[in-house]
Amino acid sequence: MASQARTEPPSQIAALLSRPRPSLVAIIGILVVLALIAWLVANFVKDPAEFVNVFLIGLTRGAVYALVALGYTLVYGILQLINFAHGDQFALAGLLASSVLLSVFNVTDESGAGIVIVAIGVTLLIAMVFAATTNTVIERVAYRPLRQSPRLAALITAIGMSFIVQNVALGFYDTQFQSIPRLVPNSDVFSVGGVALQWNKFFVLLLTIPVLLALTWLVTSTRHGKAMRATSMDPDAAAMMGINVNRTISFTFALAGALAGAAGLLYLLYFTTMRFDTGFELGLIAFTAAVLGGIGNLTGAVLGGILIGLVQEFNEGLTVLTPGGDWTRSIVFGILIAILVFRPSGLLGEQTPEGG
Amino acid sequence: MSKEERERGDGKGNGLILEVEDIHTYYGSIHAIKGVTLEVHEGEIVTLIGANGAGKSTTLRSINGLNHPREGRIRFQGKDITNEAPHNVVKMGISQSPEGRKLFPRMSVLENLQMGAFQRNDRSAIAEDLERVYGLFPRLSERKSQKAGTLSGGEQQMVAMGRALMASPKLLMLDEPSMGLAPIFVEKIFEIVQEINDQGTPVLLVEQNALMALDVADRGYVMETGVIAVTDEAKNLRQNEKVQKAYLGIE
Ligand SMILES: Nc1ncnc2c1ncn2[C@@H]1O[C@H](COP(=O)(O)OP(=O)(O)OP(=O)(O)O)[C@@H](O)[C@H]1O
Ligand SMILES: [Mg+2]
Repeated sequence: MASQARTEPPSQIAALLSRPRPSLVAIIGILVVLALIAWLVANFVKDPAEFVNVFLIGLTRGAVYALVALGYTLVYGILQLINFAHGDQFALAGLLASSVLLSVFNVTDESGAGIVIVAIGVTLLIAMVFAATTNTVIERVAYRPLRQSPRLAALITAIGMSFIVQNVALGFYDTQFQSIPRLVPNSDVFSVGGVALQWNKFFVLLLTIPVLLALTWLVTSTRHGKAMRATSMDPDAAAMMGINVNRTISFTFALAGALAGAAGLLYLLYFTTMRFDTGFELGLIAFTAAVLGGIGNLTGAVLGGILIGLVQEFNEGLTVLTPGGDWTRSIVFGILIAILVFRPSGLLGEQTPEGG
Repeated sequence: MSKEERERGDGKGNGLILEVEDIHTYYGSIHAIKGVTLEVHEGEIVTLIGANGAGKSTTLRSINGLNHPREGRIRFQGKDITNEAPHNVVKMGISQSPEGRKLFPRMSVLENLQMGAFQRNDRSAIAEDLERVYGLFPRLSERKSQKAGTLSGGEQQMVAMGRALMASPKLLMLDEPSMGLAPIFVEKIFEIVQEINDQGTPVLLVEQNALMALDVADRGYVMETGVIAVTDEAKNLRQNEKVQKAYLGIE
C-alpha cells in the first residue's frame, strides 16, 4: 500500500494520507460485530423456532427498558441531567401498583377477565399519575434550585434523591418481594411451527407501542413538544420566544415519570414480583440503554432498550457458544463502558436531542 | 414622514413605551448595572453604545426578564414589568434578537421563525408577518428548510432579527446585530433596522459600531461600567468630543 502510494503523483499521495485510515478500534469493532453476527446465525441455524422465541422474550424485556430509558433521555435532553432517581420511581410506582391491584381491586388467580381489565386500566392510570407527580415534585424541590449551580451539584443531588426514593419504598414495603397473581395469562396468542407468543408478552408490546407513538406525536407535533425541543437547545432563547421554561421542564419530568409509572406496572404484570430495590438495577440497565442509543435521543432510547433486552435474552436463552446468565450483568455493563469509552455519543447520538 | 413628524406630529408621538428607572442588576455578587435610567418613545430608534463589559447586554436582560434587577423599576406601556417572567414580557410585546444570535441550531430557518411567533395564535397574521420577514430578508426564503446551525454568520443574524419580528413586537431590542459581519452586511443590517422602524416598530439598538448606530438612531445613551455616562440626541452625540474620542475613533 505504502510503496504503491510512493509512485503516484503528489496530489494523490496527499489525498491518500489525509483520508482517515481505519483505526485499530474500528477494526476490532468490526470484528466483534462480525463475530456476533456469526454467533446469531449459528444459533438460528441450530434451532430457528427457539431463536425466534428467545427474540420475542428479548423484545418484551426491551420494551420495558425502552420505556424507562426514555425517561432518562427526556430529562437529559432538556436539562443535561442524569436523573438517577428515575429507576427508583419506576420501582415505587410498580410497588404502589401492586398495592392497588391487591388491596383495592382484590385481584386473585380466579378474578374474571372483566375485573382484571378494569383493574389494570385504573392501576395504569394511577401508576402513571403518581410517578409523574413525584418526578415533577423532585424536579421542583431538588433540581430547580440548583439550575444555576455547577452540573456536578445537581448530579450528586440526583444520586441522593435515588437513595431517598428507594428508602421511601423500603419504608412502606420492607425488604420482601411484593407478588401479584398472574393477571395476564401466559397462554399462547398463537403457536406456529414451534414459534409461540404468549399473552403476557404480547400485552407488554401491545401497550408499549401506542405509548411510543403518542410520545413521538407529542414531541414532534404539539406546542408542548416544540417548547421542549427549543428549551433543550437553548433555554434562554426559548424564554425569549415566550416559552415558559419552568413549565416546559416540569412537563418533561411529568412525561418521564408517567413513562416510568407505565413501565412499573408492565414489569409487575410480566414478572409478577418486585421489591424496593428492583429499580436500582433496572434503572442502571435502562440508563445503559439510553447511553447506547445516544443519550438525549428518543429513538435512540427505544433502540438501546430493545438491543439491551435482546442481548440479555440471547445470552440467557440461546445454546450455541453462549456465556449464560452468570455473565449477563458483566456483558450489559461492559457495553456501557465500551460505549462511554469508544462512542460516548451512542449509536444515534449524532442525531439530536428530542428528535430534532 | 420625517423623524420629527413621527415623534411630535401625529398624536402617538412622544408616547412613552419603555421606562427604565435607576435599575441595579447583579450576577451573583457582581454588581453589573449600577443605576441605569433610560426611555424609549413610540416610533424611536434609541441606541445604547459603550465599551465591552459596560453592561449593555445586561440592561437588555434586565428588561426582558432574564436577570431581574434588585433595585429600580422597569415599566412597559405604563405597566410594571420589573419582576415579570421572560415569557410574559414577550407576550406583552417586547422581543429581542440576542447577543450571539442564539438560534435553535437543529431547527430549520422556517422553524426558527415560527418559534418567534410561539406565543401568538392569529394564524393569518403570522403568515403575513412571515411574508414581511421574507420581504426584508429574501435570502431567508431561499434557505427556509436549511438547519439554522449551518447558516453563515450573516444569514444567522437575519434569522435572529426575523425571529424577533415574528413576535410582532411593540418594542424590538437588538443586541449587536452587526457583530462579526462583513461591512457590506453591516450596512444592509442598518438599512433593515431603519426599514423596520419606518414600518412602525420602536427599536432599542445595542451596538459596538457607534458610528452606524448614531446614524440611524434618534437618541443615544453611552454606557460606561454599569452607568449611563452621556445621553443626548444622536446628532449631538456624533458631535460630542468625548464620544468621538472614545467610540467613533475621531481624534
Ligand atoms: N453570566 C455572567 N456572570 C457574571 N458576570 C457577568 C455575566 N455576564 C456578564 N457579566 C459581567 O457583567 C458586566 C456587563 O456585561 P455585559 O455583557 O452586559 O456587557 P456588554 O456591554 O454587553 O459588553 P459587550 O459589548 O462585550 O457585549 C461585565 O463586567 C461582565 O463581565
Ligand atoms: Mg453585550
